[in-house]
Amino acid sequence: MTGRERFMPYVFLLPALALIVIFNLFPTIATLIESLHGNSLVRGGRVFVGLGNFNRVLNDPIFWKSMQVTGLFSVLVNTIQVVLALGLALLANSRVRGITVFRSIYLLPVAVSINVTTVVWGLMLNSEGGLINGMLSLVGIERQPFLIAPTHALWSIIVLATWKGVPLWTLFFLAGLQGIPQTVLEAARIDGAGRWQCFRFVTLPLLRGVLLFVLVADTVANFLLFAPVLLLTKGGPQLSTNLVMYETYRRGFVYGDLGVSSAMLSLMLLLVFAVIGVQFTLLRRRT
Amino acid sequence: MGAKTGRAISAAQPLQGLKLPSHVWRHTGERLLIYVLLVLVALMALLPLMWAFAASFTPNARVFDYAFPFSLRALFPVEFTLEAYDAIFARGFGDALKNSFWLSGVTVVLGGTINALAGFAFARFEFRGKRILFLTVILLPFLVPVDLTAIPRFILVNSLDWRNTWQALIVPGLGNSLAIFLFRQFFEEIPQDLIDAARVDGASWLRLFFNVVLPLSRPVLITAALFLFLQQWDAYFWPLLVAPRPELRLVQVAISTAVEEHRTRWNEQLAGSMLAAIVPILLLLPFQRYYIQAVTSSGLKD
Repeated sequence: MTGRERFMPYVFLLPALALIVIFNLFPTIATLIESLHGNSLVRGGRVFVGLGNFNRVLNDPIFWKSMQVTGLFSVLVNTIQVVLALGLALLANSRVRGITVFRSIYLLPVAVSINVTTVVWGLMLNSEGGLINGMLSLVGIERQPFLIAPTHALWSIIVLATWKGVPLWTLFFLAGLQGIPQTVLEAARIDGAGRWQCFRFVTLPLLRGVLLFVLVADTVANFLLFAPVLLLTKGGPQLSTNLVMYETYRRGFVYGDLGVSSAMLSLMLLLVFAVIGVQFTLLRRRT
Repeated sequence: MGAKTGRAISAAQPLQGLKLPSHVWRHTGERLLIYVLLVLVALMALLPLMWAFAASFTPNARVFDYAFPFSLRALFPVEFTLEAYDAIFARGFGDALKNSFWLSGVTVVLGGTINALAGFAFARFEFRGKRILFLTVILLPFLVPVDLTAIPRFILVNSLDWRNTWQALIVPGLGNSLAIFLFRQFFEEIPQDLIDAARVDGASWLRLFFNVVLPLSRPVLITAALFLFLQQWDAYFWPLLVAPRPELRLVQVAISTAVEEHRTRWNEQLAGSMLAAIVPILLLLPFQRYYIQAVTSSGLKD
């Protein structure tokens, strides 16, 4: 490649990369910088406050409470979703008549936004006359305070996030399963491997790449869950659903404290990277 | 394809089933179990939508009539009425639908084009800084959720005087690392011969891209288009911040506002939700096989 040709790659790259640098990369760096600034009461405007915001955040019991809630939520929701998605993909991969119809039905929640999911499930989980309580009453279980009791609210959000989240990851696992050559599985079966052994020693290792991708992408997606908390619980009752993403919104946009909000977001950012790093090393080493 | 491999499996089965007196029975039972599971999961996916759909055509006072205690009648409208739909359209829900359509459509066309171009560059060109660009511009933004960095983006958009404009909604959502990644993986699979042939014929790279590469790339185009469409159709946090002006109201914001402002008009909330859901569902279903193809070709297997 000579002359004009040398610039071709950059012509192809420029529009997308410029936009990503301006609207994604720059704000990431700016979040870190913003977290070191605060509002000056004396002069007005922004002043450098060093680690002051972090100091305030780290000494704030509400922040720690919401970190605790987010941690618990992440562990539960990601584990549940990844396991269910894998199970569902195995089921959807069965070779039976009519399977494509079932696959289409399973895919539906992908097209349903989290806000719609929140509205529909919010009403279904209504503690007075919701559909779920209506079904429980059929088997003699009394009404549950799904969204209004600190013991229940986080689980309710996990349930609705799972209904919406699992199908997308199922699609990735299903694609992974279909990429496994039948001959490999047959060879294992002829060698006398049972169903579980086939899954554990043939299928699962071959799905490692998909598993890693799904785990990372699911973790990132769930860190961001916001609409259900805003619309259904406002972080309550008793801060039991006060996920960090909602807390940063409350601090930054409801109370206008962008410094503290950015400090929280910076900590979240570091946390996301740490968790992804751990997932990477664990899955890379395992096999 | 399914039928062929199915026969291959059952041919191998007797080897495994020799110990069992009647593997035929076992086979039937197994099949039955699979169907029971398939139906149960399908019900879990469908039930919320079926109830919400029925309730959106039900007078508000009767929305919970058959939900508690539950009877199957909850899945059909009690006293069919369009009052909920009339009410939300009277409050401007139609404009929100139109705005979301416009935003998603523009994003699919513009975003699809520029991300495909970038994906092609990563797949087919050698250039200085390729690796480092890929890591910083593709991988890093993919790992940093956009909402986490909303504050500086909000300040940036404000300083451009874009608050409450279409630009604020469209431009930041165009460059998309995941779309670039999907395109790159797909374009890597296109045979070199095809590209060489077009080059020998004297086609410029851009012409080659639009006339040779894109027509071969239907699965990834559809997948990326759906992905970009959903990203804007489902957008909530960002529009809430940068475009609160009622003329720019988008569909998810409209639904959520209805929940906040009309907390007890359940059938209206559900009517808005059903309209917001039906559009992407209709776009998603016909193209199902392409997503699996696009995801498979993305090489996540290893």
